[in-house]
Parts: sequence; structure tokens; C-alpha cells
Amino acid sequence: MTDPVSEKTPFVFLDPRGRRWPRLRRVAILGVALIFVAIVVFVQTLFLRPELALPGSVRHLKGQLKALQNTQPVPAATPAPSQSLRKFLQNHPLHGTKAVLPHPEKQTKEIRAGFYTVSGNYGMKSLESHSKLLTHVIPAWMSVADGNGTIDFDRDLPFVDLAQKNGLVVMPILNNLLDDTWQPDAVEAIATGPQERRDRFFAAIESELDAIGAGGVVVDWENLDPNYHEEMTKLLTQFSAVLRRKNKELWLMVSMSADAEIYDIDDLSPVVDRFVAMLVDENSDSDAPGPIASQEWVESCIKQISEDGDPSQWIAVLGTYGYDWAQGSKTGDQITFGDAMSRANYSGVEGVKVAPPTYNPGFSYFEGAVQHSVWFLDATTFLNQIQAVRKQKWAGIAIDHLGSEDSGIWRAVSAGQRTQASDFHKLTTLKTDDRLTNVGAGEVVSVDESQEPGERTIVQNANGYWTSEYKDFPTYPVLYHQGGNDPHKVTITFDDGPDPKWTPQILDILKQRGIHATFFLVGSQAEKYPWLVRRILAEGHCIGNHTYTHGNLGIMSDQQVRLELNATQRLIETITGRSTSLFRPPYNADSQPSTPEELSPLAIAEDLNYLIVLEAIDPEDWARPGTAEIVNRVRQQRHLGNIVLLHDAGGDRSQTVAALSQILDYLQERGDQIVSLDQLLNMSRDDLMPVLKQKKENFPLLVSRIGFETYRLVAGFLWSFMIVATVLVGLRTILVGILAARQKRRVQPENRDFHPPVSVVIAAYNEQKVIAGTLRSVLDTDYAGELEIVVINDGSKDDTLGAVREVMINEPRIRLIDQGNAGKSVALRNGIAAAKSEIIVFLDADTSFERETIRRLVAPLANPKVGAVSGHAKVGNLRSFIARCQSLEYICGFNLDRQAYAAWNCITVAPGAISAFRKRSIAEAGGISTGTLAEDTDITLQLHRARWEVAYAPGAVAWTEAPETFRTLAKQRFRWAFGTLQCLWKHRDLVFNPRYKALGLFSLPNIWFFQIFLVAITPLVDFYLLFSIYLGNGSTVLPYMAFFVFTDWALALVACRMEPEPLRKAFLVIPMRLIYRPLLSWVVWRSIYQALRGVIIGWGKLERTASVVVKRPINQP
Amino acid sequence: MRKCLPFLAAIAVLYSGCEQKPAAVQGPPKGPFTVAVPENGAYTGVYADFGDNEDDVTLDKIENFEQLVGKRQAIVASSSYWGEGSFPTANVNIIVRHHSIPLIFWSPWDKPYDQDVIARNGPDKFNLPSVVSGKWDAYIDQWADAARQVGSPIFVSWGNEMNGNWFPWSGSFYGAGAQVPGSTPYPHPTPVPGYDPSVSVPPYPLQGPELYKKAFRYVVDRVRARGAKNILWVFHANNYSEPPDMWNVAAQYYPGSDYVDWLGLSVYGEQVHGVDSFTTFAPLFKWPTQEIHAIDPSKPVMLTEWGVGEFPKEGSKSDWIRDAFAAMPKRSYVKAAIFWNERWQNSDDTYSNLHVNSSPEALAAYRDGVAQPYWLSEPILKPQK
Repeated sequence: MTDPVSEKTPFVFLDPRGRRWPRLRRVAILGVALIFVAIVVFVQTLFLRPELALPGSVRHLKGQLKALQNTQPVPAATPAPSQSLRKFLQNHPLHGTKAVLPHPEKQTKEIRAGFYTVSGNYGMKSLESHSKLLTHVIPAWMSVADGNGTIDFDRDLPFVDLAQKNGLVVMPILNNLLDDTWQPDAVEAIATGPQERRDRFFAAIESELDAIGAGGVVVDWENLDPNYHEEMTKLLTQFSAVLRRKNKELWLMVSMSADAEIYDIDDLSPVVDRFVAMLVDENSDSDAPGPIASQEWVESCIKQISEDGDPSQWIAVLGTYGYDWAQGSKTGDQITFGDAMSRANYSGVEGVKVAPPTYNPGFSYFEGAVQHSVWFLDATTFLNQIQAVRKQKWAGIAIDHLGSEDSGIWRAVSAGQRTQASDFHKLTTLKTDDRLTNVGAGEVVSVDESQEPGERTIVQNANGYWTSEYKDFPTYPVLYHQGGNDPHKVTITFDDGPDPKWTPQILDILKQRGIHATFFLVGSQAEKYPWLVRRILAEGHCIGNHTYTHGNLGIMSDQQVRLELNATQRLIETITGRSTSLFRPPYNADSQPSTPEELSPLAIAEDLNYLIVLEAIDPEDWARPGTAEIVNRVRQQRHLGNIVLLHDAGGDRSQTVAALSQILDYLQERGDQIVSLDQLLNMSRDDLMPVLKQKKENFPLLVSRIGFETYRLVAGFLWSFMIVATVLVGLRTILVGILAARQKRRVQPENRDFHPPVSVVIAAYNEQKVIAGTLRSVLDTDYAGELEIVVINDGSKDDTLGAVREVMINEPRIRLIDQGNAGKSVALRNGIAAAKSEIIVFLDADTSFERETIRRLVAPLANPKVGAVSGHAKVGNLRSFIARCQSLEYICGFNLDRQAYAAWNCITVAPGAISAFRKRSIAEAGGISTGTLAEDTDITLQLHRARWEVAYAPGAVAWTEAPETFRTLAKQRFRWAFGTLQCLWKHRDLVFNPRYKALGLFSLPNIWFFQIFLVAITPLVDFYLLFSIYLGNGSTVLPYMAFFVFTDWALALVACRMEPEPLRKAFLVIPMRLIYRPLLSWVVWRSIYQALRGVIIGWGKLERTASVVVKRPINQP
Repeated sequence: MRKCLPFLAAIAVLYSGCEQKPAAVQGPPKGPFTVAVPENGAYTGVYADFGDNEDDVTLDKIENFEQLVGKRQAIVASSSYWGEGSFPTANVNIIVRHHSIPLIFWSPWDKPYDQDVIARNGPDKFNLPSVVSGKWDAYIDQWADAARQVGSPIFVSWGNEMNGNWFPWSGSFYGAGAQVPGSTPYPHPTPVPGYDPSVSVPPYPLQGPELYKKAFRYVVDRVRARGAKNILWVFHANNYSEPPDMWNVAAQYYPGSDYVDWLGLSVYGEQVHGVDSFTTFAPLFKWPTQEIHAIDPSKPVMLTEWGVGEFPKEGSKSDWIRDAFAAMPKRSYVKAAIFWNERWQNSDDTYSNLHVNSSPEALAAYRDGVAQPYWLSEPILKPQK
């Protein structure tokens, strides 16, 4: 090996004293360390808990919400039978003289039915856990909607499937309840109207029952006029006949009130299969507070019915729910047992018991200034009631309703007729479960996930009744609601903004109408449009946090959720100087969370001290259902709550903009007060959005501001870069395509008389296996002129010499020069010196010529201005995928480019694998240099300097062998990249030098930009693209990626067509992109690094090892 | 087209206030305005089941009814009890924003607004003597102020169905047909408008009716003094008097032309099973409208309440409704009719179903009738004199 340092051309980038790198390295390390620290500090600010910035008033609000005050339990009223019951007992038509059994075979198995309402969150869960204990389920299903017998369906097929899978009989309800209003008119009109109306009605129900495989139907008609009892008997008799034809049962719900007078039980008992006695709602939600099913009332009902009718035809509805009557509201709210527990627990009531005279538990509490009275039913009340029912040998029970119950009831259900205290000692521990309970009203919520078991005593008293006392209420996960106490107040919220197109339009409307809304901002949007954020705030609206990326929090890790919230919070603080305590989770599936998975993101928000703002009025405007439909949905859902959700971003929001005015009109027409969120919560905007305290917040605020700004700059740069790069890539693609095509058409006819003597120079190092084939391919030529081959053995360690000598027998045209190992450049120099002819053809030892190759290669030299000719190298070994990729790369990258460059005489390399030179041109160019790893590029550029033309002979094909493994490819490409970099650097004065025309203005800048810069920066762009997709901007970024791939593919198609190669080969471009891009950037970065280091030690080694496997570069672009 | 969208949206924003409103509603005239008496046809209106206290007005209920019958309502009626202590601003706003004219039954009555309590105990603290004594002046004044602030016209029926005996302002509770103590008897028996001159009443001021008239005038004067000129006063009697005595007929209660803008009449068919019997529309309507028209022929007549229960075994509600729609246009001075759409439970647990859709047939009859262009769905507004 020659020491390059001693050469007159120094090795490019070599830093002989080795000072550059240590200096650079120090600077680099310092820079990296600084950037790292900055990023750490910035990220740290993203994890700061925003609660630090929130004033006490917000926390106070939560405190107040939890501070439900204790008062004495509701005094247990003496359960005098209510007037309606008295009336029922007096007037009841149960003179059971002619009661007829519906079926001869008396059912002995106890019926255990469970009511199910779609709105109940936990009914399915309860059914899953306890299906073994049940025989029937009674889902709310059908409503009589009008007097023509129109039926509204509220189907829940998954529930039916689950029930039937568990072998339960499904008995759907047919009621006359529509939108919370009983429709007695409708049933009466069916009963009194023409027969055909009833027939149609029956048929509709029958087909529904058939469709779901129901065992029958449960009729629950209320508020009917008793005047119509004859018509009702007729109606039910006909109905029963229809059902019995299909072996389906008719069950009739009988209210224990005046409502029951409509039914003539004696006349109905032959046609109704089961009467379902509603032993609940002694005091209903529309009555004053009182026990829901006091024991005495329940027993008097059971007794009366049992005396007058056939007990085995009756099923008892046993309640498992409660009511919470708020002072001043018209009706009480139905609550679950868990709700009652949470309310009792957090209000700190004591002495809640199941005891005489009512044997119903109740209590009252204050929520702020509003007094609430709660009565509920639990396992103990259930135990007493089921005992009474079983004593009278009724057909069974129906639990009202699944999901609302004290889980202790199931022990009572499973226990036999004879119950003992020991059966129930386990009920003394009140186990909690995942069931979420609710306290308060409204859609602004806070969450408490804690769970703790409670305790009660259960004792059977002397009368055989079970009594109990709550010693310690269980702690269920709880959702506190607020903002829902005034049904006439409503507030408007917008999600997903800001958006430069739609948000201003919405703000204009709100401003014009003097309405203050709340905007839940997505951080990535706010970051782009900070001026909109400032405008929202300036116009008096509230701002809330809607996460940074609008991701689904349910599938994120806790840390990720925190980062989403904090990054957005920091951003809002940076832009507005205020924090926000408002948060809304993306994806409204969470608006009524019911599972722990849905709850935990809310709990994190809670932990960060946010108020969680959900919504009840969601017209789903994002789906663009049409302006009228958006308005219509708001009208329909208005009664469900008082927060309206709309969207001001995320697509074309013109419908929302158009609907907004109509929605506001409608709300005002119906007499609503459209208030801001802070007004809804009886707070000030400063409470919800506290102004940051300047001093305290300064540092993190500064950091996060710089952080966001930097991110913005970098992102902005990458974005513009991508656009510029896209344009340039496009232009280049078109230009290269056009030039190459033109050049191909322009190929001049060969000068048949031009066949000067040619010397073929081959440098060989360890080429024992291939050299013989190479030589034979050269010798087997149709070249008419004189030919000699000069082989320089560069001190091969194998038997290259032997292989060459073997061919030399009988072949005088080959000359062999043996030198000690000195490197390829030296070998080539020696070869040139030994060559006899003026025309010299260079050839790699592993490359084969075709018969026509030499003739075609030499032909352009007929032109005396041409100093060098580049041949056309192709990949000959197509066994491996990597090699096939390279084959395509040669076709469309190297050869197409060369074709195009030839048009403007700006070819940058006549490759060592196949090229022809004049001795004179080589000499004028300064000979083969050892200063770079790419001596062929170097000498080509030198030729240009010496004003020689460089031609391309596409017909002169040489077949070369490409690396077949990643490792070897990487090594080869590293050497090419480094060599290219060296040449570019060495000849940097040519770039944009008009004296060199297309070479300086086109092909060299082209290499700088597309082969060095773009390739180097590619990973950054890729990373940004991926990040953008993560941020949900994939839709804007993907087109760019598609464009890049498309241009590559288009160019490949053109190249394959010109080659010609099969067009399908062009599809390889797509996988190539995935493999080549990272590889190419890696080698470019490594070259830059090595260049900066400026060492040469180790090069020789690399070169030698590499040259064993990696053949000489055919081409260095 | 896409480029036009923001522009179109802006237009939509500007005009959205007018969208979905019928073209007939041009917005009120400039300056004070009032409701014109239609020259042709009559206003259609409703009391839309506004709850037990008749004062829970919601847009939903109004719109539901309108959708049910297929026609907008020019007039929407509801109650305002003195026991509430305030003007029903929220109710009136809903109706006004709906571009209908409110009709308020303004009743000097205290909670619990229960006729049984009145029958047992007589009038409550809002009795007529206390009204004329000035005891409730402050309440009347603030009620009037709030009414004035509404600005647009309001029909007010004060002390309705005074010729019955079920409300605490009826003459029956205040001396009925006795002579006002210390009053001078008239020289001749006085004939009653609309009745044969041979049917006359005692020749002296009647205690019950005189007090009612005094109270009516007192209230109207007081309200007018507060500047509530947007109120149109309705003298609202029952179609038949109870007791059916001459001292108790509507004419005896008439406070005078200056105090009344419209004459009102309740016309109900059978309401409670077993209490009244099914009567066809004609006798309930023909003579009583003639009678009330005779009191002051210069005033338009409004059926301030009309309706009938559903009693399929006793008579056809749909026929009754069809008869009504046939009969009303024949009396050209009947210029408005307010349908009483309610279902309530009686003390014997039966129901009175005056809902327009108590049966599909009844609903169809109503829809057919009200669909006639004769029935005006939009109030005609004119500048106030």
C-alpha cells in the first residue's frame, strides 16, 4: 500500500495533524449536551402538574360538591296505605270466585325474571353474572306510539342473544311510554277503534316476537281510563288468542294503584298467563318522597291478591332501586343502590336502617343549599319481600331492575324458602364493584375511583322480619355531576379547533349574538393558530383542553395521557397567559363512562385537577348529517341535559356554521338562557381560567414558549423543505426523463471505419475465480482493430496469476504485469504506462463484455473532442433481492442519469468498470489520482476541466457482479459515498461555475442536493412524517410521500422502457425505498463523519477487505 | 360553487333568524302594534296541556300540537294565577318568540287552585273585595309593568267563566243576585241584551255581578295606568250560566265597552263521564254566541276555550269536532277559537280526555277542519292607534 500522505495529491479530507476532529468533537458534544438539556427541561415543563397554577376556588368547588351535609334520616312515615291503594283494595275486581287456571299443568319451578332497560349501564353485566339464578328476562322493547297502533322499537339484540345463550326466556315489554310520557290515548284508541286496527297491531307485535324468538310479551300500560275496562278485556282476550296460536305467553303488569281498575282480573285470568304485580312505587317519582315499597304495603297487596285470585298466576315485582327527590324538582330521579350508597357515604349520614314500621331505608342530605330525600331498596328489603311472596306460593318474582341492585339480593334469590340468619351473615360485608355511581346532576363531572367495602348488620327480629343497619357505607367509584340543576340553562361548546376557516365564522356569529361559548382546543391546532386562541379568549369565551393530538385516551398509557394534557395546558398558558381547568376527553363514547377503562383517563384528568366537561346534546355535526338534521337533533336531545357539543374544526364545518344560528334561535325560542360555562357552574371565568402569576410561572413558561417556538420552527422548516424537495424532485424527474429520451433518439450512426488499436487495462486483486471469464469475454469480440489486454496483478493472495496464465496460453494479446500490493490506482497507473495503444479501455476484473462492447465503447472516440466514453454497466447476478434492487438502481439511477447528462455533456463519471479513454486525455487530466477513493469520478471531472468531452455509449454493455448481502452493499456504498464526497469537495470550485456549463450548473449541484443533502436529511423528514401521522395529520402528509414514491416509479418506468427491461421491474422501486433510503442516509452520514474526522488510518484495511467481496465501483455518481 | 360557500354561509347567518318562519310573518310593524280583528276567517289557537297549573308553557308542547294538527297556532293560551305573585314572563316570551299571540287567563286565585277547596271554603285571600280595596295593587302594578315590557300584544282574560259557580270570582260567592246594600232600585225592570224583553231581572244593582264588574274595571284601570297598552282585554264567560238564573247571565257581568276588547266564550261538550251528558255542538254554541254577541255587537268574539272529551259509547267526538268546524264560520263575528287540548284524571279515577288525538278519528276531524284556509295560523298585526 502506498502512503497517500507522501503523494503529491493529498488524500482529500485528510487531516494529517489530527486536530480538526478533537476540536469538532468538543463542539459537537457541547452542542448535543445543550440541546439535550433544553429538551429535558422542556419536556419536564410538559409534565408539570397544572394544578399548581389553579386557584383554590376551583378546588373549592369540588370540595363543596363533596361536602354533602348530613341531616337526620327522613322520618319514617307510618305506612298508611296510600289513597290509591285503599281505592284499589276497595274497588279491586278480584272477587276470585271464577278464577280459572290458565294451564292445567301447574308450573312448580319458581319464575325468576329480571327487568332490563337499555339505558341502564350494568344490566348486561348483572345478567352475565347471575343468569343461572334467572328463568326469564323482561327487556324494555316496544312502545305503543299512537292510536293507530304504531309501535316504537327500542331493541337491544345483544342482550337478547346473551339471555338466550343462557337459556333464559325473553319476554319483551310492550308499554305505552313515549319520551317519558304515558300515551293512554293510544291504547284506548286501539281498544275502542275498529277491529282491523287491532289486527294490524297484533300482527306487528307477533312478527317482532317471532323475530327475536321471544317467549311472549309483558304488557305494561299505564294511566288508562277505567271507563274502558270492557274494551280492555276484549283487547287482551283477542291478543292472548293471537299469542297462544304461537305458543307465546301474555303477561300483564298490574299496578298497585287506581291504574289497576282498568283490568277486570276475573275476566282476564283465563286469557292472561301471568299477572305481574308491581309491588313498587308505593311512592313513585312523581309523588312526594316516601318509601318505595314498605313491607306492610307490600304484604297487604300480596295478601289481598292471594285471597282473591290464584296466587300461582301471580308474579311479584320486587324493586332494587331508589329515588332521590330534590327539593323543588317536579319529580324524583331513579337511582341505583350504588348511587344511594355513594350519596349516603359522601354526605356522611348515619343511622340508615331497615327497620319497622316501613322496613325501607331512607335518608336525606344537602347538596349545597338543596335538600335531597332518598328512599331505596336493598338486599334486606328484598329478603323480607321475597319471603312474603314465597309464603303465599306465588309463581315467582321479577327483579326491577337488573344492574341497579344490591348484589346481596342474589343470595336471597338463591336461598330456598326457608331462610336462616346464617345464610345471610355474608351480607354484612357490603362489597363494592366496578359499577360507577352518580352523585349530583349535570354534565360537568369529577371522578373518584376509590373503592372500599362497607359494613352492615343483618338481624332477623321476633316477627321473622330481617332488619339491618348500615354501619359503614361502601365506597363505590363515583362520578360527581354539576351544572345540571337548572333545566332552562344551556351552554354551547366546540371541540377540535381552532381552525383558520371555521373558527372565525363561528366566533363572528357568537359575537353578533352576544353569546359566550367554550372551545375545547386540540393542542396541535392551537400551536398552529395561536392568534385564533387569543381571539377566542379576547371575545369572552372559555378555553378548555381537548388533548394535544386528539388521541383516544382509553388506549393510552397513563404517562401519555398526562403528556397529552400537560403539553396542551403549557401551550395554552404560553399563548394566553392563563391556565384552564376545563377538560373534555376526545371521542364522546366516554360521555357516560361505565367501565374502569373509560374512567381511568378521566381519573388522571381529575388527578391533575381538571373539571371534566362532558355533553348530553350531541348532534354529531362532525358527520355532516345536514344543517336541518343537526338542528333537529339538538331539538330532540335538548331535554337530555344542558351542554351542547359542536365542532369548529376537523373538516368542512359549513353545516355547523349554518346550524349554529338556527340552534341559538331555537334555544332562545324555547325560553332557554344560553349561558357561558362559568355561569352554568355559578363561577367566574377567572376561576375556570386563572391568570398565571407572572413571577412564579416565568421560568417554565419561558422554557415552554421557547420549546414550542423551536418545535414550530423545526416543523415549519421540515414542512417547507418537503415542499421544496417535492418540487425539485418533480422538476428533476421531468428534466432527466426528457433529456434521456432525447439523447437516446440522437444516437449517431457508428463510424464503421474507426477501429484504432485498443489496450484493455484490468487491475486484479484476488480475482482467481472470475478473471478467466472476464478475459475470455474481452477476447471474444467483434472489434476489428488491434487489441491487447494488460492485466496488472496487484499482489493477489490467491492464484489470480495462475488463472491469468492459463488463459494466456496460446493468447499473445494478453500481457501480465505483476506488482506488489499497492492499491488499484497504482495498478491502473502501471497499466496505462504499459499499454501500447492510444485508446485505453478500463474494465473491472469481475465484469464481462459482450461481443460488441469494445466496438461500441470506442466508437465515440472517433470524435477528436471526446476524451472519455462511459459504457453501460448492468447487474449480471440477479439471484438475490438485493442484487435485483441494484439492477433497477443501475437502470434508472445511473444509466438514465448518464444518458441525460450526456445530452448536455455533463457526465460526472466514466466508471472504472467500463470506460474508454485516450492516453492523451488521461495525461492532460493529470493521470490517475490516488487522492480519492473514486479515482474514476476524479479523472472524469479532471477531463472536464481540461475541456474534453465525455460521451456515453449505451450500447456498450458490461455485465458486472453486484453485492449480494446487506453488509457488502453497505461497505461498497460507503466507499462510493465517501469517494463522491471527496470528489465533490475537491472539485467544489466547479459547482455553479458557468464556465463548466451543465456540469457546474446541473449535474454537480444535482449530486450535492439529491445524493448528499436530501439523502442525509431524509431520516429527519421521515421522522417528522411519522410524528405528523401520530398527530393525526397523516392526511396532509401522506400525499407527499405518495408523490415521492410515484415520481420514483415513473422514472423507473421510463428507464425500464428505454433499457429495455420488463416494465414490471419498476415496481421494485417501492420496497427499494424502504431499504435504500435508510442505508443511503447511513452511509452519507458516516462519510461526513469520517470526512470530518479526517483520518486515513483504517482506510487501507477497509479497502482491502472490501475488495475481496465488493468489486470496484462501477459507477460513482 | 364551493368558493361561494363562505359567502352563502354568511347570508345564512344574516337571515337565519327568518328561516323556517312562514312568509306571512313579516316582523312587527314599526312603533306600537296590536292584533287586528281578521276581516275574513278566524284565528286558530290552543291551550296545549301546560300541566296541572296550566302555566308550564314549553315550546315542545306548542310544536307538538302544531305538528299533530298540521297547522301553526296564531294564539297560545295559558294561565297566570295571582298566587304565583308574578307575571309569566318566561311563558309569554316563548309564545311571542314563536310568533304567536299569548292569551293569559289571569285568575285572582291562590294555591292550591283547587275547586274543591273553593267549594268548601269559599274565596281565598284574593277575594274580590280585597282586590277593589287596593290590597294587591303592588302585585297588579308589577304584573302590569312586566306585561308592558313584553311590548307585543297579549290577550288577557281576567276572571274567566264568572257566570259559573266553580271559580272564586263568580257572583255566586258575593251575594249573587241580591240587591247591593244601600243601592237605589231602578224604576223599571231592566231587559237583558239578547233576551226577549219580557225576560227581565230584578230592578236593582245585583251584588255579585256588580262587585265583579267593579273589580274588573279596577284591575284594567290599574294596569292601563302602568302603560300596558299592549294588553287586549277579553271578557270571557261560560256558554251557559250556573246557576242558570237571569241575575247570573253573562250580560250582568259586562264591565262596559271601554274595558273590553274581545268577548270570550267557553264552549265545552261532555267533559266528565257521569257528570254531564254528551251533547252535540250546535246547542252548546249557537245560542250562547248569539247571546254574548248581543252584549256588545261591536266586539269580536273568541271561543276562548273549546273542546270535548272522548266518550265513544256516548257520542262521536269526531262528529262533534266536525260540527264545530262547520258551525263556527257561520257566525262571522266569531274571530278566534282556542282548542283546549288536555287529558286529566277526575276524582273517581276516570279520565277526561280532551286531547285532540284522543282517537285517530278525532284527530283527523280536527286536522280536516283546521286545514281550511278560513282558520288563520298567523296573527295579523297592525299599528296601534
